[in-house]
Amino acid sequence: MNTLLRIFLVVLSGLATGSLAQAHPHVWVTMQTELVYAPDGSITGIRHAWSFDDMFSTFATQGLESKEKGKFTRDELAPLAKVNVESLKEYDYFTYATADGKKAELTDPAAGYWLDYKDQVLTLNFLLPFKAPVKAKELKVEIYDPSIFVDFAFAKDNPVQLAGAPKCKLDVVLPREMTFAEGKALSQIPVDEKNTTMAWGAQFASKILVHCP
Amino acid sequence: MTGWPRLRVLRGLLVPVSLLLLLVIVEAAMAQPFGLNRAAPEAGGFAGWILAKQAEFYRMLSGLIRAAKADGSAAYTLLGISFLYGIFHAAGPGHGKAVISSYLVANNETWRRGVALSFASALLQAFTAIAIVGVAAALLGATAKAMGNTVRVIEIVSYTLIVLIGLRLLWVKGRAFLHALGFGEGSHTQNHAHEHGHDRGHHQHHHHHDHDHDHEASAWSHGHAPEPSELAGDHWLKRGLAAIVAVGLRPCSGAIIVLVFALAQGLFWIGVASTFVMGLGTAITVAAIATVAVAARGLAGKLAKTKPGVGVIVLRGFETAAALVIVLFGAALLTGYLASERLIGV
Repeated sequence: MNTLLRIFLVVLSGLATGSLAQAHPHVWVTMQTELVYAPDGSITGIRHAWSFDDMFSTFATQGLESKEKGKFTRDELAPLAKVNVESLKEYDYFTYATADGKKAELTDPAAGYWLDYKDQVLTLNFLLPFKAPVKAKELKVEIYDPSIFVDFAFAKDNPVQLAGAPKCKLDVVLPREMTFAEGKALSQIPVDEKNTTMAWGAQFASKILVHCP
Repeated sequence: MTGWPRLRVLRGLLVPVSLLLLLVIVEAAMAQPFGLNRAAPEAGGFAGWILAKQAEFYRMLSGLIRAAKADGSAAYTLLGISFLYGIFHAAGPGHGKAVISSYLVANNETWRRGVALSFASALLQAFTAIAIVGVAAALLGATAKAMGNTVRVIEIVSYTLIVLIGLRLLWVKGRAFLHALGFGEGSHTQNHAHEHGHDRGHHQHHHHHDHDHDHEASAWSHGHAPEPSELAGDHWLKRGLAAIVAVGLRPCSGAIIVLVFALAQGLFWIGVASTFVMGLGTAITVAAIATVAVAARGLAGKLAKTKPGVGVIVLRGFETAAALVIVLFGAALLTGYLASERLIGV
């Protein structure tokens, strides 16, 4: 029975290897995020500016009518912005916030969201208000797609800004990427062997941490 | 059934069935159903490496399409990267490795047929993407949203087809499995004889690869009953057609995006070439995985001959489990529990 078992294991690990690899990103988002504070020091909302990669921007604007070819005004993009924001609801806007370790609820974007089209890149601007303003010593905001269909990365310049909370300390944690050496070492583990020696996971979440006094 | 302690039989069955179930659970868990398990995703190991590679190749595509516009020779690089992307991308969900492999195992198909099915479904997949973008975007000027809706309709048809194929196999294999276990011996013989009469292609088939298979069956002392693989349909290509369509109908989101991008650059034909080369790469990976599955099934068949009793039961159990995997897969995809690729926000 042992030989049989071994064969089954090899087949299944072969199948599982493929299955374990999830969908890879088909959409890349470069983000600039602003945390909006009220005068009393509580956070009221998260303002996102998400720029999509050129392929997805082209795809998303396919078939849209515009006065000038290859250019889109904010008005012409308004219907698309509406679809974008409405379909993001299903994914909780890919934004997850906790205040002092407790989940802080966000609500649907305030009216006044819009799409820009510049240099063949679409940028979605929207404000996610908190259900109730939150005061927290430690605020954590994570932005990621659990299914990794959309890849989120902070912009190099001004990735995160605090609006109206000058006394707080801001940290931006970038997702950890696998190094070349790690990738190579991993590829040398036989597929029918369990990876126990290198039990790490690459964190794909972009994280914002705010510590207030 | 006599002479074999039931306990041993059950223990032998436990292995393949539980492993297959494990595969389904892992697949479902990795898919991170929306609303559940909202933990930050982790990807490590070999899977993580594949993920990183395909993302890297995919990102190169847009630059290469742009480059091809200015300099024709960049098109060759584009095709090379498309090919590599296809090879790596097939490892992700949505390219039917699991469905095709399970189908081959359940149906006891040869590796040649496995390779043929893999290539046919990958090419059909490329063709669907080209047809959607070619007709909807290039000719009708449809929006991304309209294309997304079209894909969703195709998805429902494709996933339903997967469920139906699985159910059909489960019906045939499950009965053969129960038969092997010794349930309803008398009435079953009659059942089989009845179906035998309907199976017109049976006699032709008898001379092909099913031969050694008959020995397995005869070891179980009912060689007179037709093989389950024969009951599954008439000609292998005809019965495989459903599997090809079920897997290949659903276009790859990546291919659609690449095609639309190429179209916008005025290089639609380069996009078409890239999509076909991608399909070729996809086919190679799926065929390789399918070949491993078929080889293991073959070895298991040989081993089954050396252990007449348990061997055949395990084999039938494995086939039944493979059929069950197809049903579960299709159902999970259909209900959206298992997220395949999606076109978001359009």
